[in-house]
Amino acid sequence: MAIDPNIVELINADIDGEISPADMVTLEAMLAESPEAQAMHAELSGLSSSLDELPDLDAPPYLIHTIMAEIPKPESQDRRSNFLQGLFAAPALRYAAMFVAGSILTLTLVNSDQLSERAFSDVTGLVGTISSEVPVGPDIRTLQIDRTEVAGHITLRSSGPLLIVDFDLVSNGPIDIVASYSDQSVWFNGFAQLESPGASISAESGRISMKIDGKRRYALYLHNPGDRDVSINLRFMSDGELVYETDIQYAQPGQPG
Amino acid sequence: MNRPDDKKLVERCLQGDRQAFETLLVRYQNPVYNAAYRMLNNPEDARDVTQTVFLKVYENLDQYDPSHRFFSWIYRIAMNESINWLKKSSRQEALEHEAADQGDGPEQQAGDAQLSEGLEAALMMIKSEYRAVIILKHVLGCSYIEISEALDIPEKKVKSRLYAGRRLLQERLTQQGLH
Repeated sequence: MAIDPNIVELINADIDGEISPADMVTLEAMLAESPEAQAMHAELSGLSSSLDELPDLDAPPYLIHTIMAEIPKPESQDRRSNFLQGLFAAPALRYAAMFVAGSILTLTLVNSDQLSERAFSDVTGLVGTISSEVPVGPDIRTLQIDRTEVAGHITLRSSGPLLIVDFDLVSNGPIDIVASYSDQSVWFNGFAQLESPGASISAESGRISMKIDGKRRYALYLHNPGDRDVSINLRFMSDGELVYETDIQYAQPGQPG
Repeated sequence: MNRPDDKKLVERCLQGDRQAFETLLVRYQNPVYNAAYRMLNNPEDARDVTQTVFLKVYENLDQYDPSHRFFSWIYRIAMNESINWLKKSSRQEALEHEAADQGDGPEQQAGDAQLSEGLEAALMMIKSEYRAVIILKHVLGCSYIEISEALDIPEKKVKSRLYAGRRLLQERLTQQGLH
C-alpha cells in the first residue's frame, strides 16, 4: 500500500533533524498506525546513519602550500622580481632566461670546492633540461614527498655523463635540503632553476646544500664518469630540525634502481 | 580564542591579506576535498578540483555576496566544479560501470567496511544532482536552507531530491545485498 506523501515528508524531516515539535507529535501518531511507515522510517534512518558515518578524509598535506603558491602575491612583493618574472613568462625567452639564471647562479651563488673548469661548459648546455612537466620514463627514478612541511616530486635521470636531479617542491616556510653522496668520483657539476627567484646553493665534497621557500623548481647536475651506480641521501630540515630523509638511487639502465 | 568570522576574513583578503585567505583555506580545505572526493570517487581528481575551487574563490572574492553564508558560496563552487569535472572527463559513465561491477550479490557479507564501500559505490551510481544534495546533507552537514543556497534551488526541491536520492541509494544497496 502506498504511504501517504505527508508521512513521507515528515519521516524525511525527522531523519534530517528538521522536524518541528508539533510535526513530531503528528508523525509519532501516524507511525503508530502504519507498519509500512514504520518500516520506511527504520530503513531511511539506517541509511541516513550509514551516510553520516562515511569516513572523513583529510586533504593531502601539501595541498595548502600548492594553493598558496598559486595565489598572487601583493603588488609590493611582486615588484622586486617583476623583471625576471616577466622574462620567464615569455615562452620564447624562457629557456634563454633559464640559461642565464642557471649560469649566473652557478657562477655567483655556488661556493664549491668540487667544481672543475669543465663543469661550467657542461652546465650551459643543460639548463634547458628542466621541463615544465615532471619527466617520466623507465630510467627515471621518481620520489614523491607528501609531508606537511614540504611536498612534491624529485626525479633522477642521466644524460650522458651527467646525473640530473630535478626538484619540483612546495614548502610551507624555509627548508634546507642537503644532498649527500659518498662516491668521491662524482662531483657537483652545476645548478639551474625555473621560475623560482631567490635560490641559494652551496657545494662541498660529497654534499650540496640548498634552500627553498614556497614553490620551487630546481635541477642539480652531478658529473658521474663511467655511468656508475650512485645513491644520494636527501635530508630536509626546518629550523635545523630534520623533517624528512630519503635516498634516491641511480642504477645503470637495465639494472634495478 | 575567538575564531575569526568568515566574512571578516573575506574583507581582509580583499584588502590583500594572504594570511586571511590561508585561514579560510585551512578552514575549508577538508570539507571541499571531502565533497569533491564523494562526487568524483577519485583522490587525484578531488585534489585537483579542490585546488581549482580555491583558486576560483580567490579570483572571485569580490563577487561574493556577504548576505549569504560564505560556506554556501564555496560549496556551490565545489559542487559546480565537481560536476564540470565529471562532464569534462566523461567520468560519470565510467564510474557507473565501475560501481556496477562492485555489486557482488547477496552472498557478500555486509560488514561495516563493506557497507561503507558499497555505499560509496552506490553513491556513484546515482545522478550527480541527487548525489550533490546527499553529500551536502550527510558529508558536509548542511541544513535544507544551506543546501538550497549552495545549489541555488528551492528548499522544496532540496527535500524532494534528498528523498529521491536516498530511495535510489537504498535500491542500489539492496541490489548489492547490503541493505
